[in-house]
Amino acid sequence: MSAAYILAKDHLKSFVRKISKGSRLIAPVTNEYGDTLYSEINCLDSTQIDTQHQPQSSIKHFFLPQQESILSYSVSQAGEYHFSNILIGVPTVFFGVRSCDLAGLLYMDVIFSNPAKDPYYFKKRENSIIISLGCNEPFENCFCNATKSGPFLDFGFDLRFTDLGDRFLVEPGRKRGMEILEEFAYFFNDASEQDLKDQYQLQLESRSSFQQNVHVDLAIKKLANEEVGKDVWQDLADRCQDCGGCAYVCPTCTCFTITDQPVSESEGERVRSWDACTFAGFTRMVGGHNPVSSEHSLRRRFLHKLKYDVSLHNRTSCTGCGRCVGICFGGVDIIKFISAVCES
Amino acid sequence: MYLPSQAVIQDITIENSRIKTYTLAFTDKEYQRNFSYAPGQFMMVSVPHCGEAPISFASSPTRPGTIELSVRKAGELTSRLHSLPAGSMIGLRGPYGKPFPMEELAGKDLLFVAGGIGLAPLRSVITFCLDSGKYGTITLLYGSRTPEDIAFQADIEMWRKAGVDCRLTVDESSSDWQGNVGVVTTLLPQTMPLSSSTVSLVCGPLVMIDFVIKELTQMGLKDEDIITTMERHMKCGVGVCGHCHMDDKMICVDGPVFSKKELTESVAHFQEKPTVT
Repeated sequence: MSAAYILAKDHLKSFVRKISKGSRLIAPVTNEYGDTLYSEINCLDSTQIDTQHQPQSSIKHFFLPQQESILSYSVSQAGEYHFSNILIGVPTVFFGVRSCDLAGLLYMDVIFSNPAKDPYYFKKRENSIIISLGCNEPFENCFCNATKSGPFLDFGFDLRFTDLGDRFLVEPGRKRGMEILEEFAYFFNDASEQDLKDQYQLQLESRSSFQQNVHVDLAIKKLANEEVGKDVWQDLADRCQDCGGCAYVCPTCTCFTITDQPVSESEGERVRSWDACTFAGFTRMVGGHNPVSSEHSLRRRFLHKLKYDVSLHNRTSCTGCGRCVGICFGGVDIIKFISAVCES
Repeated sequence: MYLPSQAVIQDITIENSRIKTYTLAFTDKEYQRNFSYAPGQFMMVSVPHCGEAPISFASSPTRPGTIELSVRKAGELTSRLHSLPAGSMIGLRGPYGKPFPMEELAGKDLLFVAGGIGLAPLRSVITFCLDSGKYGTITLLYGSRTPEDIAFQADIEMWRKAGVDCRLTVDESSSDWQGNVGVVTTLLPQTMPLSSSTVSLVCGPLVMIDFVIKELTQMGLKDEDIITTMERHMKCGVGVCGHCHMDDKMICVDGPVFSKKELTESVAHFQEKPTVT
């Protein structure tokens, strides 16, 4: 078998229907308000998968939900106090995952593997099939070329789709992807030399059409060697409204908090929820003492992505999705920070 | 990894008006038997409906069968814990964190400097040292706010009998206090000259740690011979949640025990670090 196949666009729905039989299907859908979101599709006949727009949120919340009960606990009359795990992982097919979001998922795989496999995350992760979609045209705020996570990420997927106009080029990645291609071989034809040339051409064009010119490599090198000027931090801090939006839309912001939510006197749930290092209360200790001054919250976020993760994991954890650029009404985005670092 | 195990409060020692020491045992006897830890590590403590908080061991693994955690009443969880009588159940998971380098400290003269509840993790080390007998002279400088606030008095008596040079001080005196008055650094000159094999272990409020470390450096101790343990807001205890992030370190897994050398080398250019200089 060759390493690439062709799926006629007319057959996309039936193929997706086949592979998601008995599973949940998540794919980009544009809703009635014009928002494109990775959404659960219950009826493929009445729902259009949107392969043209960038989903506004990443797939992070399917693996690390914004709020998730991880444990239930009970306190008996006699005082017995017991916990049990709540492990939820529905078999899910993700179709149309963009490279930046796949890169985010691969980063989460690393984060949730230390010091041991996080059971709640991996219950979902191991029940997932990831079908990625290369980006023929970068979106407005994208800079994944500079973070080396797109527009056509070459690894981490089960299957990768490339839109060749009237047909998709389909390539297997992980073992599960190959199995799917074998099981549903009747949908596919072997890709021709011309198909592969077309894909190569598309990739070249995509790489040359980024609207954002962001020097991530230079910023990483400078941050490894120099301090960022106080004025740079101050300028960004003055404009940050502490809303946490950037962390919430970020595919790789995984900080969380854990709280108890009592259901009754005798039982309750322990809930893991998204947190953001930009929140003033993130490091505040009991009694109100905060060992970390609030003006350093942005510093923590940007340096985590562009300095500490580089020293720990040898690559930036920014995937260049550009969502924080679009969401911040104060203009405190990572592109602005990187530019400021490069210019200073 | 987030699943706490049930433990029973076997005994409660009132150390002062705000600190209690809890003697705990896992109700699963097999689990208790196999449970091991080291001085400097901590547990994540669950109290019904209150979530979790990180608490250092105050006991030493040289005395198996139970563990002891000393808790200062400070917030919701610790207040609820303080209201629980002996026999109550709590949840525990751990142990977490990098312990004190007990192997490397063998044979050294140890100078402990503590303030308030900061004596709790050092109590674990002192007990360990006395029980194993592999360490040099032991000196403890302990600062409290007032004479009434002096915690661990029974331990201090025992340590004195075992040959530990315990020197106490209070910030504010009362009429019947005969001892030293002043912050804990005022006791440091009494320990001069330090032997060449002295290592100092410091724990207390951040401001105290700062001042003590500065003075110890002036007294000639090398950076690697000054060891402290840090306190931070923590949620997971296993280096994932991000709350105790300090530069590229996580206090919960890379600490909470750090030498001054580690602190200055790894976070020297980082403004979030405590002002250790």
